[in-house]
Amino acid sequence: MTTETLVLPDAAAPVAPATPLPRARGWFRQLGVDTGYVLVSFPVAIAAFVVVVTGLTVGVGLLIVWVGVAVLAATLLAARAFALIERAWLPSVLRRPLPQPAYLQPEGRWVRKLLTPLRDPQTWLDALHAVLRFPVAIFSFAVTVTFWSIALGGLTYGAWDWALPDPSTNPNNEDLLEVVGLESTPGRRILLYTVIGLVFAVLLPLVVRGLALLQGQLGRVLLTSRAATQAELGRLTEGRNAAVAAEAVALRRLERDIHDGPQQQLVRLNMDLARAQRQLERDPAAARTALGEAAGLARETLEDLRALSRGIAPPVLADRGLAAALAAIAARSPVAVDLAVDLPAERLVPVTENTAYFVVSEALANVAKHSDARTCRVEVRCSDGRLHVVVEDDGTGGAVLAPGHGLAGLTDRLLAVDGALTVDSPRGGPTRLSAELPCG
Amino acid sequence: MRVILAEDSVLLREGLVRLLEEAGTEVVAAVADGPSLVRAVREHRPDVAVVDVRMPPTHTDEGLRAAVEARQAVPGTAVLVLSQYVEVAYADELLADGAGGVGYLLKDRVADVDSFLTALEDVVGGGTVLDPQVVAQLFARRRADDPVRRLTTREREVLGLIAEGHSNTAIARTLVVTPGAVEKHTQHIFAKLGLTQDEDQHRRVMATLAYLRG
Repeated sequence: MTTETLVLPDAAAPVAPATPLPRARGWFRQLGVDTGYVLVSFPVAIAAFVVVVTGLTVGVGLLIVWVGVAVLAATLLAARAFALIERAWLPSVLRRPLPQPAYLQPEGRWVRKLLTPLRDPQTWLDALHAVLRFPVAIFSFAVTVTFWSIALGGLTYGAWDWALPDPSTNPNNEDLLEVVGLESTPGRRILLYTVIGLVFAVLLPLVVRGLALLQGQLGRVLLTSRAATQAELGRLTEGRNAAVAAEAVALRRLERDIHDGPQQQLVRLNMDLARAQRQLERDPAAARTALGEAAGLARETLEDLRALSRGIAPPVLADRGLAAALAAIAARSPVAVDLAVDLPAERLVPVTENTAYFVVSEALANVAKHSDARTCRVEVRCSDGRLHVVVEDDGTGGAVLAPGHGLAGLTDRLLAVDGALTVDSPRGGPTRLSAELPCG
Repeated sequence: MRVILAEDSVLLREGLVRLLEEAGTEVVAAVADGPSLVRAVREHRPDVAVVDVRMPPTHTDEGLRAAVEARQAVPGTAVLVLSQYVEVAYADELLADGAGGVGYLLKDRVADVDSFLTALEDVVGGGTVLDPQVVAQLFARRRADDPVRRLTTREREVLGLIAEGHSNTAIARTLVVTPGAVEKHTQHIFAKLGLTQDEDQHRRVMATLAYLRG
């Protein structure tokens, strides 16, 4: 089975509509993750705060003698390392994948390399994060440890009440019951502390989750939101590059087609007419033959020009829309086509119509050329703002998305309009090509 | 005149063979790609090779490179390059070896059979023939302070025809003036541009082109 899916590049995946991690991990597991996160964050946050604040102050103080620059750079690199640890935690805490920011790559001479961390906004955000998370981490740690202690201590109080000195025998030792003016007996103590433990145990997951989220969101905003913007930009650039590439390839092919087709035919026509002219006086019969050939050539040229213009933008597509154009190519196809079109009554935007048309037309050309199929099913429907195009045949399969192949050209066309192409074509068949693009 | 033809399109190859044969030349070989052209030139040693620029396998400037190679292999072989479009850069490459006997024409010019045959004879005779479009492109990139701008319209016309490779006699015929008038124009032009008059037809063209390319 050879299944190849070409979708947007990995860098862009995290900004695609949120694809949550498996949610069925249960509250207990999440409590473990959140607690671990908050507990580990505490020492990490202290270390980060100490390193970053010390490094920045020392670095700024020494700026006047150039050593400060090196100290600042080293501090920012350390902040980046701490940010790296935080980013590793975030997906499991926030329960969704997050994009990784692209840091500036050091390049050029060593002075320039040294300055790279200082020029990168993300490293400064990393340092800011190290400072801002410090109070949040301490607060979260304190609250989490308190809640865990009370919950565990209260729930197990019955097991170790006997080990404590009896408060009723010691006037200097008042317990909670005596503070509110009640007599302290082991039964009452166990009941009260168990209830308190129970209340804290019930609140524990919620409170720890809230604290983890508070800290996690701070990390997300400072450490990954810039990466999300970068990824979005990257995705748009990718799409634009693909559009430009597809355009360039199409134009080059058009130039070649015109050069090899009509242009040559017209040159030959010109030659034949010139010959006929010269023959007219000496050999009228030969001139007549030459003129007959010339007329035939003119007809062929016209036919080729028509086919060419159909290749650029089929007239029926421009005049009647996608459904009519698809019916026309289905009718022209040498392989029997079962066509199912479900489109809104109003016309789609031209770029969508064009792209869908070329997907079907290229796919059907491939079916006719390579698949040995007897029948082929074409389905085009619009749902949820996306246009789904499926071309399926009963042929021998083995189609690949190799570069330079017609199918790879389609990939570029689709990428250009923010779409995707999937080809599933096991050797032995059948082949199923499906494309998806926005239909606005 | 013995001719080798290199043209990958069967349609055009056959058309050219017929046209050349009806015009009384002998087409000793008609090939479809660059390497075969070089081989055929080595084998037949023709008077002239008529070559299409775009040929297999690369479909880019294969023909041009093959023509240059063929001239290195068999020096003295005249080459007339035909193309569906003209580029000054291609003309430069053809003229680079400094020897005469090269031509570069749009394929359309073939339809004017008489001047095509004249061009063929010029090239075989060691002359240089350039398409008016190449010359027009050379003129188009003149700078504002250029001495060419000081030439009269008629003088520029004559300069263009010199660059295309025409002799004074041919220029006189084209412009319907006496050869003496053309002689006077050329003297003015060469004086204004600071070029030395040369009796050799090819060297005269080269000097003109070198000036225009400058």
